Amino acid sequence: MEGHRSIVIAVFSTSAGCGKTVTAINLAAGLAKEGYQTCLVDLDLQFGDVMGYLDMVSDVTLADAQAALEKDAASFRAEDYLTEYSCGGVSFSVLPPPREINDAYLVDVDMVAEIIQRMDNFNFIVLDLTAVFSTLNLVMLDMSTVINFMGVTDFLPSVKNYKVGYDTLLRFEYEERKICLVENMADYDRYISSKDVERLLGAPFFHRLPLDSQAVTQSIRMGRPLMFSAPLSPLTQSYWQLVGRYSNRDVNAEHLSRHDDESAQEENKPFFSWLRGRKKPESGVAE
Amino acid sequence: MKYRVILVEHEAGRLSQLAGALKIDSDFDLAATFFKAEQALGQSSVFRPNLFLVDVDDSQNLNLLSSFIDLFPQATILGTMEQWKADTAERVIEAGALGCLVKPFRTRDVLQAIKLYKRRGKSLPTRTMAFFSPKGHSGRTTMASVMAIELAKKSGEAVALIDADLQFGDVSMFFDVVPQHNVVEASHDVRLLNPATLEAYFHPVGNGVWIMGGPTRPEHAELVEANNLIDVVRMAGSLFRYVLLDLPAGFNPISLALAEFADTDILLSMIQSGHEIRHMKRSMKMFNTWGAYGKKIYPFFSGVKKCTAEQKKKIEEEFGRPVTNILPMESRITDITGSGRLMKDLPESMPYVNEVMSLANDIVMGRR
Repeated sequence: MEGHRSIVIAVFSTSAGCGKTVTAINLAAGLAKEGYQTCLVDLDLQFGDVMGYLDMVSDVTLADAQAALEKDAASFRAEDYLTEYSCGGVSFSVLPPPREINDAYLVDVDMVAEIIQRMDNFNFIVLDLTAVFSTLNLVMLDMSTVINFMGVTDFLPSVKNYKVGYDTLLRFEYEERKICLVENMADYDRYISSKDVERLLGAPFFHRLPLDSQAVTQSIRMGRPLMFSAPLSPLTQSYWQLVGRYSNRDVNAEHLSRHDDESAQEENKPFFSWLRGRKKPESGVAE
Repeated sequence: MKYRVILVEHEAGRLSQLAGALKIDSDFDLAATFFKAEQALGQSSVFRPNLFLVDVDDSQNLNLLSSFIDLFPQATILGTMEQWKADTAERVIEAGALGCLVKPFRTRDVLQAIKLYKRRGKSLPTRTMAFFSPKGHSGRTTMASVMAIELAKKSGEAVALIDADLQFGDVSMFFDVVPQHNVVEASHDVRLLNPATLEAYFHPVGNGVWIMGGPTRPEHAELVEANNLIDVVRMAGSLFRYVLLDLPAGFNPISLALAEFADTDILLSMIQSGHEIRHMKRSMKMFNTWGAYGKKIYPFFSGVKKCTAEQKKKIEEEFGRPVTNILPMESRITDITGSGRLMKDLPESMPYVNEVMSLANDIVMGRR
């Protein structure tokens, strides 16, 4: 990204309830576990769930950050408005959404962009967005290195919205390679097959996350990412693989390595080498 | 049917123009013309009229409409106006008249208006109900659609469901129809429309339900201005006794404007992680203000695993106020909405449908 050193992953979808927040949390936690400086930004300004799902509270929010930036841009430090999440030796920063809905209404898109630009000491910034093409979301998608575009394909209207959303992203001239199609609840017994969805979209899935609603419920109840609340769940493993794809870790050497720091630095494979059906490595997107 | 008409029109040129049109149509028998409603009210009985066309741009005439209805209970009464004015049209219906026509009109416009307005149902004010949810995936469209079906069934009157979830609305898919026009076009055109021409923007899905679908491309949502959409909703009130609005999730200019306009707001959240109750609680702050002004606010929770009185009480304790009702998770409903069989295959009796039916019943009976 222009003038931005962090890799920005936008977790986006065009139908609600397909696991954006859970994915954003587990991406952030996974990247942090790999040793990366990671920040998770909850941009569901009105009804964000990151703080709730992680059982966190915070005195400062995006609203305070915006106010400070407006007041004195020169001395503004984004770090002052972040809250640290720590669990089992893994920690990452969180920028919470405003507490009051009224404050959410007053959030200025340019200010949010500026705040994220100023978070320059992170390797990864994960954005949890809402399921709509709002000005805020579009500006965030513009700023992002990759778009983790999620869909659940068990309900025909959701498939329609996934297709419409994907076509719209392409029409808005987001590069195809920037959009990572991530199917959630992929092994769920249903009447629409992933193959059909891929045919409809005209692109393969980048990653498939299996269904484990029990693990997700448990994770939310405990206020901890899946790796701590349900380490053995296939969903946890799958998130670990997804993290590996974004962090460029050797997927073959994964199996929940205990030597996090080493495994994070070893590999030098191109960022998108795992994108199924595409042999040519893409350039310019690796960290 | 032959109409024996009394025409009330204050402007002489307009009067002779409209009278001329009525005279040459054999379906109409122009019994008398008056400049003022007051004169018509005193003198019409000798003509045994069954249709009154009353100029309602004159506020005195408008005020006398209910007297016409008292004196001529068998007659059809239509207001006439130079330009479409939503508040006047609403007052005309409130007074018990059938609806309004925009001048100048042809005799076939009169016949079409009578047909459409009679199909609407009783000459009572329109009930406008907005379905709001803090976040998506709450079962909002499902509840609004089932509600539309049940309202039509209970009342025998015309019900419209407008898909105001402008980017990713699913109403058309739930009914498996591909409407010719959509809400973006209607909002764009509304200044040029009247109820009869707006009717073509609705797609009949049968059994007294009409839908207005969302646009095909999400970016078209940008073209809709809230006040134009409200004009569409108000004009739809002349065609439908119940107008249901499926709002986009959360607070945005469209959902705020429509929820504020509607006389009844149904708030819905699906219980999944448990955090939804907190979201509803935060949303209530906005709705409470409106509730104080007499708007009816009904909070619901969907996707409740065990729909018992005990469970409801538990939710209410956390919510901090009464919940109108809780709705169970029903995979059969998801199956039929997902495959567009809502109108054909909605089961007669299952807990979910029964709960929505009971609310529809209360609304039709005027209890809610």
